[in-house]
Amino acid sequence: MRKHILLLFALALAVGFKASAQSFLENSQVNGAFQVDGQYYMLDNGIGITDLNGKKFGVNGFGKVNYTNGNFSAGLRFEAFLPELNGFRDELNGVGVANFYATYDNGFIGMTVGDIYDQFGCGFVFRTYEEWSLGMDNSLRGARVVLRPTKGVTLKALYGRQRYYWAPYLERQFAIDDYRGIVRGVDGEWDLNQSIPALNDSKFRMSIGGSFVSKKQYDQSLFYYIPENVGAAAGRINLGYGNWAFSTEYAYKINDPSAINNFIYKEGQALMASLSYSQKGFGAVLQVKRVDNMSFKSMYTAKQNDLDINFIPPINYTHTHSLPSMYTYSTQPNGEMAAQLQVNYTIPKGTALGGKYGTKLAFNMSQVNDIVRDSVMDQGQLVLNKRGSLGYASRFFAVSDHRFFRDINFEIDKKISSKWHITAQYINLYYDIETIEGHAGAPPVKANIGFLDVTYKINRKHSLRLELQGLWETEVHKGYEYDESEMKDYQKRGDWAFALLEYTISPHWSFSIADKWNYGNPVPEFRDHYFTGSISYIHEATRVMLSAGRQSEGVVCVGGVCRTVPASSGVSLTVSTSF
Amino acid sequence: MRKLSFILVTAAMMLFVSCDKIDIDNTHKPFNVSGHGKTVLIKDFTGVRCVNCPAAAEAAHELQHNLGEDNVILMSVHAGPLAQPVGQFPDFTTPEGIEWYKDNSSNPLFSVDHVALTDGHTLYVDQIDTPVADALAEEQSFEILQGVYFDEETRQLNLEVDVVATAEVVGNFYVTACLLEDSIVGRQVVPGGIDTAYVFRNVFRRTLNGASGDSFWEGPVYVNDEYIYNYCIELDPFYNADQCYLMSYIYDKTDGKILQTAINKIK
Repeated sequence: MRKHILLLFALALAVGFKASAQSFLENSQVNGAFQVDGQYYMLDNGIGITDLNGKKFGVNGFGKVNYTNGNFSAGLRFEAFLPELNGFRDELNGVGVANFYATYDNGFIGMTVGDIYDQFGCGFVFRTYEEWSLGMDNSLRGARVVLRPTKGVTLKALYGRQRYYWAPYLERQFAIDDYRGIVRGVDGEWDLNQSIPALNDSKFRMSIGGSFVSKKQYDQSLFYYIPENVGAAAGRINLGYGNWAFSTEYAYKINDPSAINNFIYKEGQALMASLSYSQKGFGAVLQVKRVDNMSFKSMYTAKQNDLDINFIPPINYTHTHSLPSMYTYSTQPNGEMAAQLQVNYTIPKGTALGGKYGTKLAFNMSQVNDIVRDSVMDQGQLVLNKRGSLGYASRFFAVSDHRFFRDINFEIDKKISSKWHITAQYINLYYDIETIEGHAGAPPVKANIGFLDVTYKINRKHSLRLELQGLWETEVHKGYEYDESEMKDYQKRGDWAFALLEYTISPHWSFSIADKWNYGNPVPEFRDHYFTGSISYIHEATRVMLSAGRQSEGVVCVGGVCRTVPASSGVSLTVSTSF
Repeated sequence: MRKLSFILVTAAMMLFVSCDKIDIDNTHKPFNVSGHGKTVLIKDFTGVRCVNCPAAAEAAHELQHNLGEDNVILMSVHAGPLAQPVGQFPDFTTPEGIEWYKDNSSNPLFSVDHVALTDGHTLYVDQIDTPVADALAEEQSFEILQGVYFDEETRQLNLEVDVVATAEVVGNFYVTACLLEDSIVGRQVVPGGIDTAYVFRNVFRRTLNGASGDSFWEGPVYVNDEYIYNYCIELDPFYNADQCYLMSYIYDKTDGKILQTAINKIK
C-alpha cells in the first residue's frame, strides 16, 4: 500500500512537473533581429578614391535575441565588425557578445543585471542607448532597480560602467586610454493623475520628476586636480490641460574638466521647455533650449561621441530626403541656444483646397546660436576658455550673434487621387560648416533647397516614385572664388541636383536608380556624379537590399549625434530579418 | 514600502554628498620631477591644415613647461593628410616623418618615447601626461653627449654623438640624429580661419641618418660602454641657423622604445 502511495506521489510529481514545464514553455516568447551590412570598396579616381588603404571589404553585423517568460526576460546581442565599414570608428573592429541582460519585473519591483539602456527625463543627465547607424552604444553594464511603490510613482536606481567599444569592464584590465569611471544614478517620477483619484479623469495633467547622476573616475591627471566624483541633477515638470501641453526640464552639473571643454572648471547647465497645442487637423509646438558646458562623459579624456552619460535632445526638423539631409545639425554640448516652431495643419477633405483627401501643410523654423561667453579672472589675468581656469562666464538669457544653424521649411503633402500622391518641400538653410563639421575658415552654407516627391500607383501591386531635388547655395557656387589652399573644404559645396526613380512591385520587389550631381561646385574637379542603383526584396520581416554606385562624403546624424561618412564607391548588401 | 523609500532617499543623499568641488584657485597640481636623468621625447604628429593642432601643440608645450624643458623634449612632425602642402601653406613634410606616422589618418596625434602608446602607436594630447610621467620615472640606461660644430660660411654642420651606457641592459640599440628648426612663421589653419603668421615650434626637418637611424649594438651593454658616431650635413640655406637644433635619441629596436634623448642648439 505504502509502495503504491509512493508511486502515486512520484507520478503526481512527474505529471505536475511535466504540466509545469509545458506551461513554462507555453508562456515563453522569443523574439529577435539580425542584420548584416556589407560593402565591397572599389577604386574610383572620378571622386578621388585612389587608394583603398588595404580595405576592400567592410562588414557590420549584429544579431539579438530576447526571451520573455511572464515577469522574467533575458537577452543578448552579438556583434561583428570584420572589419568595420568605412566611416565607423576603427575601435569597433572585433567580434563577440556585446550586450546581455536579465530582468525580473512583477510590476512592483523590477531588477535588471547586465547591460542597461535607460533614460531619465529628456536625457540631460542620463541616457544610454544603441544606434546601429552611428555605431554607437553607451550601455551601462551593471544593475538597476525599478520600484513602483504606489500607482503613478516610479523610482529607479542604477549603477555600472559604460561600454567603450570592446574595452574590458574590469578596472585591472584597463589600458591607459580606456580608464573609464563608474556611473551611478537615481530617478523618480510622480504622475499625479494616476496617484490622485480626483485627477484620474481630469483635463488637467501633471507629472513631476527628478534625477541625480554621478560618475566616479580616478584622477589620473598629472597637472590638474580632476574631481573624482562629478554629479549632475535635473528636475522636470509636465503639465497639460485639454489640448495644451507644457513640459520643461532643467539640469545642473558641477565642475567637470574634460577634453571636450578644454579642461575648464565651470559648472554646466541645460534648460529645455516645450509648449504644444493640438486638435484635429492642427498642431503646433514651440520649443526653446539652452545648453552650457553640458558634455558629461564617464572618462574625462574621451572625445567625439564616446562614453556620453547624457544626451542633449536636438530641437530641429529631421529631414529624410537626400539633399535636405546633407547638412544636418549636430548638437554642440559646449554651448548653444536654440528655438523651434513647428505648425501642422490639414486642410479638411471636401473643401476647395483640401480636395477629396485633404491637404497636409507643415511649417517649421529652427535656429541655433552660440551662448555668450565673457572672460573671467584667473591668476590675476582676464582669460577666456583657458585650461585649468573657470573658462568663462555666461549670462543665462544672452544669445550670441554667432549663428550655428537655421532651417526654415514649408511642406505640402497631398493625395491628389487614388493613383497620385505628391509631397513637396522648400527649405531655407543656414549651416555653420566650420563649427559643425570642423572645416576651419570655410564660409557658412546658405542655401535654398527644394524637392518634389511624386508617387504614381499604376495598379494595386505596381507603383512608381520619382524624387526631384535641388540645392542651391546663394554664396558658394560655380563662380565662387576660393583660396586654392582651402580646396578640400569645398568637397561637397555649391549647387546640387538629385533625381531618383523607384519602381515597386508589392509586396516583395523594389528597384531604384538615382543620381546626385554636384554640378555647381566651385572646384571643377569636385563636380561629380554619384550614381546608384539598388534592388531590394522583402519577404515578411526579411529584407535584402543590393546596391551599387557612389556615395558622397557627408554626415549621418540621429538625434543630433553625428558621424562622418567618407566618399566611397562599390557594391553594398544589406540583409535584415526579425522574428 | 517606507523602508524602500528610506533606502532610496539615503542612496540619493549619499550620491549628492559625493560630488567633488575643486577650488578654482587651486586647480593645478604641483609637480616635482622625480626622475633619474631620463629624458622623454614627445613626437607631435601635426599638420598645417589641422584646425585642432595649434591647441594640442599648446597643451604639449604646457606639459613640457611644467615638467621642465631639460626633461621633456618636443618635436613637431608634420605628417598625415592635414600636413599635405596645398597652396600657400608651408610644406614641412619629410619622408622620415611619413614613415614614423605609419598608417594613421588623423592629426593631431602624439607618441611618447615611441611606447606607452595605444594600438595605433599614437595618443591624443590629453592622454600623454601619464605616459610622460611614467617615462620620466624610469631608470636612465644611457647618457648622450652631443658635440655640435656649425661653420657659418660653408653651413657645414657636424655632430658627434657620444653614447655612454649607465646601466647594464640588453637590446638591439639604435641611434637616430635629427635636425629641428624652431619659430618658423607661416600659414596654419586655426579655429575661425587661417593664421598667416603662425609660429611653428620645434619643426622636424630631417634626420642625419635615416628614419631608423644607425644600429650601434645588439646584445648586452655594460656600465661605461661607450659608442661614438659622427655625422656631417650641409644646412639648407633656407633654414635659420639661429633657430636650429640637433637632437639624438637612442632606442631599442626590439620594442621601439626610446631610452634617452639629447638636444643642443647648433649655434
